[in-house]
Amino acid sequence: MMRRQVLSLAVLLLVQRGALCAAEKARADEVRFNRDVRPILSENCFACHGFDASAREAGLRLDTRAGATSAQAGAAAVVAGDSGKSQLIARIMSSDDDQVMPPPHSNKRLTADEKETLRRWIDQGAVYEAHWSLALPRRPVLPPISWTDHPIDRFIQARLDQEKLAPSPLADAATLIRRTSLDLTGLPPTLAEVDSFLEASAIDAEAAYHDLVDRLLRSPHYGERWGRWWLDQARYADSNGYSIDAPRQIWKYRDWVIEALNADMPFNQFTIEQLAGDLLPGAAESQKVATGFHRNTQINEEGGIDKEQFRIDGIFDRVATTGTVWLGLTVGCAQCHDHKFDPIEQREFYGLFAFFNSQDEPAMKVFGPGVDVDRLTAEFAEAERQAHAYVASRASELATWESGLTPEMKSGLSPEIEMILALPPERRTGEQTRTLFAAGFGEDPSFRRLHDRLWELDEALNRPVTTLVMAELPQPRKTTVLINGDFTRPGEEVAPGTPAALHPFPPPSGRPTRLDLARWIVSPQNPLTARVIVNRIWQQYFGRGIVETENDFGLQGAAPSHPELLDWLAVEFMERQWSLKEMHRLIITSHTYRQRSADRPELRDADPRNYWLGRQQRIRLDAEIIRDVGLAASGLLSPRLGGPPVYPPIPAGVMSQGQVAREWTVSPGADKNRRGLYTFAYRASPPPFLNVFDAPDGVSCCTRRIRSNTPLQALTLMNDAAFMEFAVALEQIIKKDGLETAFRRCLARSPEADELAVLKRLDALTAARTLLNLDETVTRD
Amino acid sequence: MNSDHQLRRVTRRHLFQRCSIGVAAIALAALEDACRVSAADDLKLRHPLEPKLPHFAPKAKNVIYLFMAGGPSQLETFQYKPKLAEWNGRPIPENYVAGKRFAFMDSSHGLNLLGSKHSFKQYGESGAWVSDLLPHTAGIVDDIAIVATCKTDLFNHAPAKLLMNTGSGQFGRPSMGSWITYGLGSECHNLPGFVVLQSGPRGPRGGAVLWGSGILPTTYQGVPLRSQGDPIVNLSTPPSIGEVQQQMLVNALRELNEKRLADTGDEEISTRINAYEMAYQMQTSAPDLMDIRGESRATLDLYGIKDPAEASFARNCLLARRLVERGVRFVQLYDTNWDHHGGTTENLEQHLPEKCRDIDQPCAALIRDLKQRGLLEETIVIWGGEFGRTPMGEVRESTGRNHHIDAFTMWFAGGGFKAGQVYGETDEFGFGAVDRPVHVRDLHATLLHLLGLDHQRLAVRSQGLDFRLTGVNPAAVVKDLLA
Repeated sequence: MMRRQVLSLAVLLLVQRGALCAAEKARADEVRFNRDVRPILSENCFACHGFDASAREAGLRLDTRAGATSAQAGAAAVVAGDSGKSQLIARIMSSDDDQVMPPPHSNKRLTADEKETLRRWIDQGAVYEAHWSLALPRRPVLPPISWTDHPIDRFIQARLDQEKLAPSPLADAATLIRRTSLDLTGLPPTLAEVDSFLEASAIDAEAAYHDLVDRLLRSPHYGERWGRWWLDQARYADSNGYSIDAPRQIWKYRDWVIEALNADMPFNQFTIEQLAGDLLPGAAESQKVATGFHRNTQINEEGGIDKEQFRIDGIFDRVATTGTVWLGLTVGCAQCHDHKFDPIEQREFYGLFAFFNSQDEPAMKVFGPGVDVDRLTAEFAEAERQAHAYVASRASELATWESGLTPEMKSGLSPEIEMILALPPERRTGEQTRTLFAAGFGEDPSFRRLHDRLWELDEALNRPVTTLVMAELPQPRKTTVLINGDFTRPGEEVAPGTPAALHPFPPPSGRPTRLDLARWIVSPQNPLTARVIVNRIWQQYFGRGIVETENDFGLQGAAPSHPELLDWLAVEFMERQWSLKEMHRLIITSHTYRQRSADRPELRDADPRNYWLGRQQRIRLDAEIIRDVGLAASGLLSPRLGGPPVYPPIPAGVMSQGQVAREWTVSPGADKNRRGLYTFAYRASPPPFLNVFDAPDGVSCCTRRIRSNTPLQALTLMNDAAFMEFAVALEQIIKKDGLETAFRRCLARSPEADELAVLKRLDALTAARTLLNLDETVTRD
Repeated sequence: MNSDHQLRRVTRRHLFQRCSIGVAAIALAALEDACRVSAADDLKLRHPLEPKLPHFAPKAKNVIYLFMAGGPSQLETFQYKPKLAEWNGRPIPENYVAGKRFAFMDSSHGLNLLGSKHSFKQYGESGAWVSDLLPHTAGIVDDIAIVATCKTDLFNHAPAKLLMNTGSGQFGRPSMGSWITYGLGSECHNLPGFVVLQSGPRGPRGGAVLWGSGILPTTYQGVPLRSQGDPIVNLSTPPSIGEVQQQMLVNALRELNEKRLADTGDEEISTRINAYEMAYQMQTSAPDLMDIRGESRATLDLYGIKDPAEASFARNCLLARRLVERGVRFVQLYDTNWDHHGGTTENLEQHLPEKCRDIDQPCAALIRDLKQRGLLEETIVIWGGEFGRTPMGEVRESTGRNHHIDAFTMWFAGGGFKAGQVYGETDEFGFGAVDRPVHVRDLHATLLHLLGLDHQRLAVRSQGLDFRLTGVNPAAVVKDLLA
């Protein structure tokens, strides 16, 4: 009975939707420049008739209305309202190889539909619109949707309505807790967490889910999971790159990211500290550590190189990365020439370059919060004075000891001591005398006490962890345009500045600095940054951004699938004081996020790539998280946060593939079972299990990971020594607590009878390996 | 049949949850459940390296690239320059070097020319000059096309190797082998489509990025086959696991993954099922490939392999033949230490002749072996480094030459190359091309052309640009190199 009822409701609904179609059709006939025309022009015309003046052919530009409609020799490319008089139409319709546009050698061809679109656009008046991403986002009105108040669901449902599609039902509670835990912390839920969530959901699903989200957002593992998201963009790794690829120490920057995200540092502050923390008034140590963001460039240590060439390459990378990460623009394209598609002149590229051209690139000692370096320095001096005074008070005993040394005894001493003995006493430094005293009277309790104190202070003061930071040179370097991007060909001099097509750069007092640049980026007048960042968050949750080209919001980029939703989210982000956690909460409490991911036949036909989000998207887990799931499911995970990178077991021989073979001594104790993001990452020879699952190698900014699916991944999960250790531990769990428990540790849900039957045919170890290898285990459903 | 089962699963709690999205959604979702067909019914297993059609009829199917890492000297091997010997010790005329930059310019290498100490003779019907360092190669000159005027843009090792492999000195671009397996797939279903073999004392400068897949999926990245231990990382079943257990693992995975595929309809699962099948087959096929004890003594002798178990460039050449026999698309051999600057460990007197001895016989054997098996017609063989060496010498207690990018020698064989010719001409010191220079981009375009791929069309969109192996600068197929 129930079945008949729902079917008739569905039919009713479909009939109602049919009635809407006529009105939509009329709207669809109207050609819109940004939606319909610009993509055609950008793809086929702008390379020769666009922004780049030096590449412009026949003096014609089609990227502005003035350019397109201005007459040359009595004819104009575009005559608004009259396609019959427009040269553009004549040329694209021409069958003459010498006349037709685009020319045959360009390998570009317009389809009949595209030609028709251009014709209609001109007949409708050839209206140009500013590129959408360069106009400030304004908060759009929420579409009226009866069944939900959630803003995201209202935008998504409005679009689904146009496609006559329905969303999918809510995912079941076990799937939801696994999905949300993996997305917010990168770890699967524990059995206890699953049980209590299932229980709470049965009573009040809505409240239980909100409690879950609160708990996960407070988890310190949130910072690790989303920290890695940011570290991809920061191109973080633990070595210098290029072919020599020596190790470097910059993990304090990685920990800074994790801590900042855990504290929900507002994204504008997060930006300013990384780009220019060192320039903030009274900059704290942590704010300097944050500037490691732009020290994640490679350093070439090869012989025979021109150092300046690679310094310049590092700055090119900094400019391009800043453009990609915060502006979503391919600024780097303007390194050698004006941008072909977007309004960025080559001069303007070097205006940005100038901000990054005057840095010293030091390693900074990190003492940590609460350490008073001045006091430490004073204490060290005092302890040293006391030790020397004590040694001086026993000078005669030292002399007696020294004169009693036989040649045999001397040869048994360290080379350092031998060297000191060779010096006449009056030429020895205080430190040398002290060292000698330690050799002869090391067990003397008074001396021991002074010596140990000195050693301790020395350790704290002179041998702390270091990290790479930015620091401004006292005198800025002169910046010029580099002709063709060639560092040996300087052109005109350029001052620091930002592209004119973007929001105005407030005139600073004096020479603009990185701090001015950082503040300009997070200005509420910037149309790009908030959109770019919310889009990149969205991408993590649905496998694709609202703008699919998450690193290109320029003219060649994809149009947003839900432009109003994107703008609504961007405005919301800024108005919620740039709180990332609030944006996470907003997205993952939506029905759109919580719905089932399984495909449905009508969706497969109507929307095979799931643009309209009629379902969630299954996403293969990130490389590090695949490891973390194995560690957590098998009970081996060491959940310690932060600290120096670690060395889990890796297959023999992989560290000798580069130019220089590197040491890899497996970390002792629990450290070999730390989360994947703490694995020491060499750029030239990345850890195999991370590399095989597409972890970025840190040589350039990565804004979206590839998710490949290969036989080498299968070999890793089946045979890798680390995964075998997980399997052996999970085997013990099977023996102790049963298959069902092990299953739920991997997948959160309970097995179905036929699944259990398959597993029961296996010995416990094979069952454990099977569970760790399941597609579902390495996937977020 | 399925619908009843699905409906039974709509328990009260499920319904309750669905209510939160409204009656309409329940209606459609239930309708969906009612109409649902099992995804397993139209289960299409997809292979990640499925062979694909080229753009046009190809001349060649596979490539073997013998990469002499470090930059072999063309002046000691293929470029006979009597004038250089005549001018030995005198500075190169100013007009050659004005405005040029070189590596190691801050050191005191000077601009004095260095004549070769090796004797050259003409060989074969083509009459190509070859030095006494490469007697076996001299015997195959009619089977190869020697290009004397190769030209690159970058003179440091790692960037130049990147350029030769990816068309760009910047990191993050797909390598040639990745582009080609991306464009054509592979005809071998139990080995990777792009395989890398290494010899020499250490890995090549640049490391894994030389065979990286850049913006393409890692499915297409080169897989190094190692000469010691497992040929592929993690290839062996763990020692504590029996063969039966491994088989049971793969079977159980297939069964459970297929069920999940039916439940979700996610095609990625079918790809994963296939990946496990291929991985399992690889566990047998890769060791079989590496085990060359079944090759005849005559074949081993042809390559100069004394001990079949010992890693060497010769063994890698034989493995390359075995790989293309099995349908592997792109095989790249790296032989390192060709960077002869002079000095005690890298000079022209002792070390270059040693390197030449390592590779000369195996290279010639590879051509002969492929030819006698009828594989040469469909296999392109490439020999060369990332750049060449200067006519000027680096003279210390022993001699060497600096990096040089304007005119270096590579050779090409098989797969539609017009053999028995020396292409292009350099000046009397061998400094620059005087006739028909060939840029790396042109080599790439030509290579792709022979494989049936248009270098303009083999493109992938990233950051608003169409990325190609040949980049954005003009590149042309070198017509005269085609048979």
